[in-house]
Amino acid sequence: MKRTTLWKRMAAAVLSSALLIGAAFTTQHRADAAEVSGKIVIAGSTALLPLTQQAAKEFKKSHPKVKIVVSGSSSIAGPQSVAKGVATIGACDWDATRAVGGFPAYKGLKAYKIAKIPFAVIVNKNNSVDNLSVQQIQDIYEGKITNWKQVGGKDEEIVVINRAKGSGTRVNFEDKIMDGHAIKTSGDNYKEVQKSGDMVNAVSSNPNAIGFVDLAYVKGGIKAVSINGVKATTANAASGKYVFYGYGYLLTKGEAKGADKAFINYILSKKFQNGSLKKLKFIPVK
Amino acid sequence: MEKLSPDWTDATNLLTARRQSRWAAKYAADRFFRFLCLGSIIFLGAVLGAIVLFVSETGFLVFRDVSLWEFFFSSRWDPEHGKYGAAVFIAGTLYLTLVTLLIATPISICVAVFIAEIAPPWLRQWLRTLLDLLVGIPSIVYGYLGATLLIPWIREHTGAPVGDGFLAAAIVLSIMILPTITRITDDALCAVPNEWREANYALGGTTFQMIVRVVLPAAKSGIAAAVILGMARAIGETMAVVMVIGNVAQFGFDLVTPTSVLTSHIVMQILNVDFQSTTNHALYMMAFLLLLISISLIMAIRRLRLKGGQ
Repeated sequence: MKRTTLWKRMAAAVLSSALLIGAAFTTQHRADAAEVSGKIVIAGSTALLPLTQQAAKEFKKSHPKVKIVVSGSSSIAGPQSVAKGVATIGACDWDATRAVGGFPAYKGLKAYKIAKIPFAVIVNKNNSVDNLSVQQIQDIYEGKITNWKQVGGKDEEIVVINRAKGSGTRVNFEDKIMDGHAIKTSGDNYKEVQKSGDMVNAVSSNPNAIGFVDLAYVKGGIKAVSINGVKATTANAASGKYVFYGYGYLLTKGEAKGADKAFINYILSKKFQNGSLKKLKFIPVK
Repeated sequence: MEKLSPDWTDATNLLTARRQSRWAAKYAADRFFRFLCLGSIIFLGAVLGAIVLFVSETGFLVFRDVSLWEFFFSSRWDPEHGKYGAAVFIAGTLYLTLVTLLIATPISICVAVFIAEIAPPWLRQWLRTLLDLLVGIPSIVYGYLGATLLIPWIREHTGAPVGDGFLAAAIVLSIMILPTITRITDDALCAVPNEWREANYALGGTTFQMIVRVVLPAAKSGIAAAVILGMARAIGETMAVVMVIGNVAQFGFDLVTPTSVLTSHIVMQILNVDFQSTTNHALYMMAFLLLLISISLIMAIRRLRLKGGQ
């Protein structure tokens, strides 16, 4: 009899203290949740991948309760994954809420412009041509100009290299440079490559090739030509004098909420825009 | 098993019961193993079935928007303007395989004959090891070498402006499938009974006559199986091909015009298309065609093996 009461008392004590501690923890947890917690899944563009990865790394430090998964496959995978609910944030090289480059407009998504991306029209390092006008680039990709001597170079056939349909860089090239003129996608002097790295290899290994790529990729056996006499530099792209640039977007389903919102705000913060973003050769939008 | 009878003593009863329980445990283990094996097979079959079903189901959706005639016989691939002719890729795959086999088969058979019939034993062992090593090299390595070494060479010697095309792809694929065809042909040649070779010499035949008249005809079905296996590898190869073929939706039968085949086109486009689009369905249909081709090749090999065994 005595023994049972002792047990009962002990049990009561343990239970009540457990409840107390539990309650204490819950309130603390709630306080943190009011700050930020949850899971962010980012999918999409590989061009923006270095940016999102860096941002995720820094964001995790200041928000230890948030789990972030970052991956990259292709631009169109960004809005698609978000629309399907596979990812919470989609990265895309164009504003996917508009119909661009043969892709449908993704209704119900909200686009956040996070960075300006400078691109470059590239030729082989040994090519004597240093400057091309937008008109000349259009004519080359349309197949109207086929020899380098027509634009002040050697008497050699121009080899036109293009990215695969749906590439974010190609979408921006068609949008900013081609301006509605259709690229001639056939002929024995035309080929397509899969990735930015393949583009660099193709142009650096062929003395008569022309292509286009993110400005950050320009080094080694290739060089960026000036467009309309303006040098391809981040400064010129930032001021808008250099015309070949695009914007990187993050997309969410509807207005961004919770952790997603905090993450996007972090990327748009002055600290990140003027710090890591600049170091990665993107141009701040704020 | 032994039957229990009521007039036995307790001791024997206990012993028998124990024996019986041990037997039951064994029986259960056997049953379990049987179900495990059966389950594994069903799982594998289900995966294969699911692949065929899913790929074909998505693939056949293309025919809601595109006619059979257009898909198989039109060469105009221009999804932006609603043109989904896949003839370029289908013809390209068949043509590339043909050119590859024309290059690889004679060389492979010569190498195999050298290894099996002519080389001294120490060199034979050495060559076989070398070929086994070559089989294991990842295809992307071949593709990279093709893109950096072979293509500039082709450009220089043919005068082609780009250099990508069937010639580059066929050479890369030939080098890739050469070890496969050679090793299997080698095995087939070694399976020919030695008495037949001795009979040739006894009749006064030369080594050349022995190889051409006796060994090669006797190993015919084995060699055919080797070639088909190489063909299956060539048709399905993607990474090495996409790096050297040029990836343009146009015919390239002159060997040095950039063109495209089923595998390279699928890998170029699949990440960049909308899930629900006709383009995506068309790509799945191409994948289904590849699946059909490889399944029929494997069935052909089984047929040949069965014939060879008789």
